[in-house]
Amino acid sequence: MSNEIVIEKTIHKGAEANLIYGHWFGREVIFKHRIPKSYRIEQIDKKLRINRTINEAKTLIRVKDYGVNVPQVYEIDTKNSTIVMKYIKGDKLKDILNTLPNEQKVEILKEIGKFIATLHKNGHIHGDITTSNVIVTETQDIFIIDFGLHDYSDQIEDKSTDLHLFKRVLISSHGSDFNICYKAFLEGYRDSYGPQKMKECEGIIKNISIIETRGRYVKKKDKI
Amino acid sequence: MYVISRKLALGIESTAHTWSVGIIDFEGNVISLVNDMYVPEKGGIHPILVREQHLTNFMKVINEALSEASISIKDIDLIAFSKSPGLGPILKIGAQVSRLLSQLLKVPIVAVNHCIAHIEIGRLMCEIEDPLTLYVSGGNTIVSAFESERYQIFGETLDIPIGNLIDSFARDVGIPHPGGPKVEQLAIESSNYLSLPYVVKGMDLSFTGLYTATKRLVESKDYGKKYNLEDVANSLQETAFAMLTEVTERALAHTGKEELLLTGGVAANKRLQEMIEYISNEHGARFEVVPLKYAGDNGAMIGWTGILRYKKSGGTAISDTQINPKERMDQVTIPWRN
Repeated sequence: MSNEIVIEKTIHKGAEANLIYGHWFGREVIFKHRIPKSYRIEQIDKKLRINRTINEAKTLIRVKDYGVNVPQVYEIDTKNSTIVMKYIKGDKLKDILNTLPNEQKVEILKEIGKFIATLHKNGHIHGDITTSNVIVTETQDIFIIDFGLHDYSDQIEDKSTDLHLFKRVLISSHGSDFNICYKAFLEGYRDSYGPQKMKECEGIIKNISIIETRGRYVKKKDKI
Repeated sequence: MYVISRKLALGIESTAHTWSVGIIDFEGNVISLVNDMYVPEKGGIHPILVREQHLTNFMKVINEALSEASISIKDIDLIAFSKSPGLGPILKIGAQVSRLLSQLLKVPIVAVNHCIAHIEIGRLMCEIEDPLTLYVSGGNTIVSAFESERYQIFGETLDIPIGNLIDSFARDVGIPHPGGPKVEQLAIESSNYLSLPYVVKGMDLSFTGLYTATKRLVESKDYGKKYNLEDVANSLQETAFAMLTEVTERALAHTGKEELLLTGGVAANKRLQEMIEYISNEHGARFEVVPLKYAGDNGAMIGWTGILRYKKSGGTAISDTQINPKERMDQVTIPWRN
């Protein structure tokens, strides 16, 4: 029984990949399968699927060493653009955020801030930080998932862009909780970035508002 | 002859190259729609030249819309105009004409955000309730859905809009404005793909690198030898539309919306329609393209959005009808939806 690969059911259809629940040599796993998208031509499709699969798997393995909670990778199948990873039982933060008491929202957002700061300090840009890409387990542990758009960078600009994307998601999907969530997120981010690199950290945060003013249709007087 | 038993709004669209007047009743039936579009002899849209054309033709277009509806200006109950976003000198004409009409006729005036009007006319024409909208035009590239009292922007271009990308490319290779339909025709002729930059950041996109790369392709010594114009057009469309489709799919998965609306001038492109329809089917969402007449800039959408706002919260005070060339759609609250 334990030396089998069992594919059981699709639990999520994402934008890029299907997440299939199953068993892999006795372990509970997710098969993250980047399915071919026939709407785009094969040259684009293949390149994106294979590159993102390899990049995501590598990143998951690397960032785990820094203490960021991410699913453990068991197997990489580039031919089928599939990653076999540990199944994390929990809820998408997006689905439960508005049901949580405020103290818990603060706890979770701080924790996300810490993880993102850890990624950034080590030169990793997540590329798609959203509340859909955070899993909250029964024990209130936070897992960061979906590193498909991950990139390596030590540039302040890239780190700010990462934070700016998340800020926008908090506004658009969680408008009424935005203030409390964003504040907690930045607090966790600052804490984890650490006193030695405070200057860099403040530079990143300050640069978010500069990026905002570059946005389309942002009025001059709204700037900074 | 239209029987005037219902209330009528006159909507004026004046954000860019199109001066358009639509007459629409309070139930959402479009009675007439007349457009006057500025077409540059060469180059892009020069705001001052567009302004001259609109200033010359605005009354003629209003009169045509009235006569097509077989009504008199006195039958109008509401004036709506596009106050944002757009080119300042052009927005001003719409605002000034509308203020004048409103005060002469003693009817209320409503200031409308142009981008929101694109979504509202789509909801009306396609009879859908709560879509995720991909709005693609020469001036805008936005993925939007209604959340927390606003049309939130989930994704957008970080630099130039998709229509601008295609038009600029078209200009570089000598295709006159508007280049979109011709580029689409060229692309159909080719099945060769040349690798181009693909830049997606979460739900946002960037097109400038792609533009530069296509420019280099047509300036290269290999152009006309190893590949031709059709190949570049095809590669440009395939790359840009794959990017648009990817971010739209990501927003669809993130918001969980069950309807997908494609609108704006670039919505006319069949290849883009095909790609967006594909992801709608993947996610079991209903797919609708706004009919071409109402997908591009038009006065009917302004009139209809004006009616929606007026019914819920009355007219706009004259003192609040200043134009706002840079208003984002997510800055505007939407009292008529909840």
